[in-house]
Amino acid sequence: MNGRVVIAIALLALAAALVFAARPHDVTADERIDQITTELRCPVCQGLSVKDSTSETARQMRDLVAQRVREGKSNADIEAEFRAAYGDWIFLSPPVASWSGLVWLVPIAALGAGLVLVTGRLRSTDTPQAAGPSASEVAALRERVAREEAAEG
Amino acid sequence: MILGRVVRVAVVVAILGLVVTLALAFRRDPHDIRTGTIGKPAPGFTLERLDGSGTVALADLSGKVVVMNFFASWCLPCTQENPTLVRVYERYRASDVVMLGVNYQESRDNGLAYVRRMGMGWTTVADDDGRVALSYGVFGPPETFFIGPDGVIAGRHIGPIDEATLVTAIETLRARAVR
Amino acid sequence: MSAGDLGAAALRAALFLSLWGTGAAIYAAWRRDARVLASARVAAGIAFGLVVVAALSMMFALATHDFSILYVAENNARETPTFYSIISLWAALEGSILLWTAILAGATAFIAFRGTLAIPRLATTALAVMFAMLTFFLLLITTPAADPFARLAVAPDNGNGPNALLQNHPLMALHPPLLYLGYVLTSVPFAYAIASLILGEGGDRWLVATRRFALVSWALLGVGIIAGAWWSYAVLGWGGYWAWDPVENAAIMPWLTSTAYLHSVMVEEKRSLLRTWNLALVVATFALTILGTFLTRSGVVNSVHSFSLSAIGPLLLGYLVAILVLSVGLLLWRSARLRDAGPIGAPLSREAIFLFQNVLFMAATLTVLLGTLYPLVAEAISGAQLSIGGPYFDRVEIPLALALLFLMGIGPQLPWHGASRATLERQFTAPIVAAAAGAIAALVTGTTALAAVLTYALGAFVVATVVQEFTRGVRARRTLHGEGGIAAFSNLLRRSGRRYGGYVVHVGIVLVALAVATSQARTVDAEQTLAPGEALVVAGYTVRLDTIRPVSEPQRDSIVADLVVTGNGASEHLRPALVQYPNSAAAVGSPGIGAGLRDDLYTILAAYDQRTFSWATIRMRVIPGVSWLWLGGAVVGIGALIAALPAPRRRTVRMPVAEVAVSAK
Repeated sequence: MNGRVVIAIALLALAAALVFAARPHDVTADERIDQITTELRCPVCQGLSVKDSTSETARQMRDLVAQRVREGKSNADIEAEFRAAYGDWIFLSPPVASWSGLVWLVPIAALGAGLVLVTGRLRSTDTPQAAGPSASEVAALRERVAREEAAEG
Repeated sequence: MILGRVVRVAVVVAILGLVVTLALAFRRDPHDIRTGTIGKPAPGFTLERLDGSGTVALADLSGKVVVMNFFASWCLPCTQENPTLVRVYERYRASDVVMLGVNYQESRDNGLAYVRRMGMGWTTVADDDGRVALSYGVFGPPETFFIGPDGVIAGRHIGPIDEATLVTAIETLRARAVR
Repeated sequence: MSAGDLGAAALRAALFLSLWGTGAAIYAAWRRDARVLASARVAAGIAFGLVVVAALSMMFALATHDFSILYVAENNARETPTFYSIISLWAALEGSILLWTAILAGATAFIAFRGTLAIPRLATTALAVMFAMLTFFLLLITTPAADPFARLAVAPDNGNGPNALLQNHPLMALHPPLLYLGYVLTSVPFAYAIASLILGEGGDRWLVATRRFALVSWALLGVGIIAGAWWSYAVLGWGGYWAWDPVENAAIMPWLTSTAYLHSVMVEEKRSLLRTWNLALVVATFALTILGTFLTRSGVVNSVHSFSLSAIGPLLLGYLVAILVLSVGLLLWRSARLRDAGPIGAPLSREAIFLFQNVLFMAATLTVLLGTLYPLVAEAISGAQLSIGGPYFDRVEIPLALALLFLMGIGPQLPWHGASRATLERQFTAPIVAAAAGAIAALVTGTTALAAVLTYALGAFVVATVVQEFTRGVRARRTLHGEGGIAAFSNLLRRSGRRYGGYVVHVGIVLVALAVATSQARTVDAEQTLAPGEALVVAGYTVRLDTIRPVSEPQRDSIVADLVVTGNGASEHLRPALVQYPNSAAAVGSPGIGAGLRDDLYTILAAYDQRTFSWATIRMRVIPGVSWLWLGGAVVGIGALIAALPAPRRRTVRMPVAEVAVSAK
């Protein structure tokens, strides 16, 4: 079989698998409880989430979240209840809006700046260079060989 | 080469920022926790008394200064602060100051035995599922909340409390009540 | 003379020698004086011996419970088993700085004796830098800031005992020393880089001289981090291995920059590019190890429950500032001499992929740094208190990690300078097919979260590229040298260790990624209160509670739940416990773990009836694939070892055989 056909079929299969994995599906009550408790910080632990912690406090918080989910409260309502008691501190992932949005912005900005910086330094043509090295590289290699000979001799 | 200068300045600024942040961090007091509840109306509740003689509702205490203390028998600092609580309780016994002990994360039997052993004469209630502690944003016992006559949380103390802090907080709230 | 006196005296003598060595090395480098250099060598050797004597005396004092020493009284008790007594050398601040100093003294001695023979002036200058750093640490442990041999006026009858979490698992013997070795060895490339900058050398001699150190310190850090993850998994009792805790973040940051360096350094070797950048990476890696030490030792980023601020904090901060000022100043001053020789290659060249990889690693490092420090910044500026934990880091780091996994498959398959379309097709057909197969395998085995499916696809992609490389290499050796298959394979590893060892490392990283993806996506848990004889069922496993019983040992009292887990072909007796140490207020949970290549059965005793032992609350987590994480760590270590071992001298062919074969095709 032609190599390109093989690649095309494989890419299609890969895309199909990813689309299948990313398809929207209904969130069950248990999944909602997990989602919410993953974001909540256990107040008596060293940075563990309420979902992971085995402490009594975390257990009580899980119970409270489960009850609120059963009562039909939205995620935002439940989060607001915990925010009222513990402030933004209780969330392991700081809010995107407001001041703490900076903590999200900086990594993305740095990544973008880095990519721009690197792309700018690449050779503009995308055709590969002929096998021979450039004059400056030959110079660098000469310098290197001379140095290594000096070091060995 | 403008780009090179921008990068250099950015590096120097970033490092300065890092060092200043780290230096500032020394001034931080890990016990100084400011959470959402101070200055807001105290979350209401109705809890059963530890001795089983009925319930206590926060709504019934409006107009009074409430000192709400979360405690547990398994909590060593609670045992340490208890004599202070006993003294201050005796001092304000006859006044409009209500002291309320909320038993934290333990069985009622254990809680009640501890209350009797430690001579805690004030009202003590059970928070079986921890809901009241969660609504007040409690980290762990001992914690003490000061609720004014207007039903607003005026202050909070994390860890064992000393007599001066306790009395000052109470007197501030009483003065406000008189006005 | 007691062990404590001996240790204290040894450290003071070592400090004196280290001061002498600093001065002597500076003078020898400046004047090219061989006799003074010889004295610095002797000073380094004896200082190393003395610090080792001090560390051994501390171990002896711990093992013999000499409570007249404050450190022993605070971190040891008569009941502490000898094994845990000895490893208590690194159980607390002062002892761990002593261990750190011992490793640093060893590295200094190594450079003094081996390094200065090959490239005298550069190595002598580097030796001066090493001595200066050693002097700082010796000052720390001979002054009250972190004096491990500080005395008590009256020795107590018994000591406080080690921290409960640190005497619960034998991995404590392995994980901190590995990490410290990794941390400290980053100071060798740093010292050479600084020396190269001071001397104004434009070239890359410093880099060639320290290549092996950089690789070894990287590998030790990596394996130490995995060992630490294993320790938290086995001890902390919540079923996870990584929590983005400040202590963990402190270790991962230098590992990230160091990984970036190990790749971009190849660009400098092959193409004489990125000179300033590589120096900056070495400096950053070293500075991050000191930053990490500062963060974890000064108590500034701990949780609500941290108490003391040690005097060592400001000293370490000062040290960090001095290092940053010196190295950034030198870099800015010398950067004009470090011009690169020509432009970087085409977008689809190996060097371009290395550069993009570097950008991703920098973004990953910056994210960890920012996330760790941002709560401090926010509080200092606005007074707001907020938390940054797992969910934040996962959201930013997982996409970066997936992109890096992708580049890990692409990079080694692309030639330097640029690739033609024919090359691309030849290199990537099989890997792309493997990626599709990986994604489908994930879905079939029940891993359906998008990030996890992507991890499987990219993991298969990378493994396929590695298999392809090995097959081609083996085939080339068989054709060219007429070797048998196994001989060709082992010769590939021995003679082109850097390249093929690197591929082995890549496979190890894939194992780690698969383990993380699988365990994160498919962990199931259940919790139930059981009476003896009752059972809970989760994910096809039945957990039966047999008994709850107290167990008494000299150093601790435990409550043990005897569980029998059956199902899915497994039959395990697990014993999760709650352990009470006399010096700890709360009982420490000790999980009962049934490890398996498919699932780990992680059981926790959450609560029990304290009066009659008539019930226990058992939490059971079924964690699939987590064993592959430790396995991946081992593979990374083995790969790094293959890459670090010196190749046997080549007789005739100078170019790596595999490359000849590929270009001859």
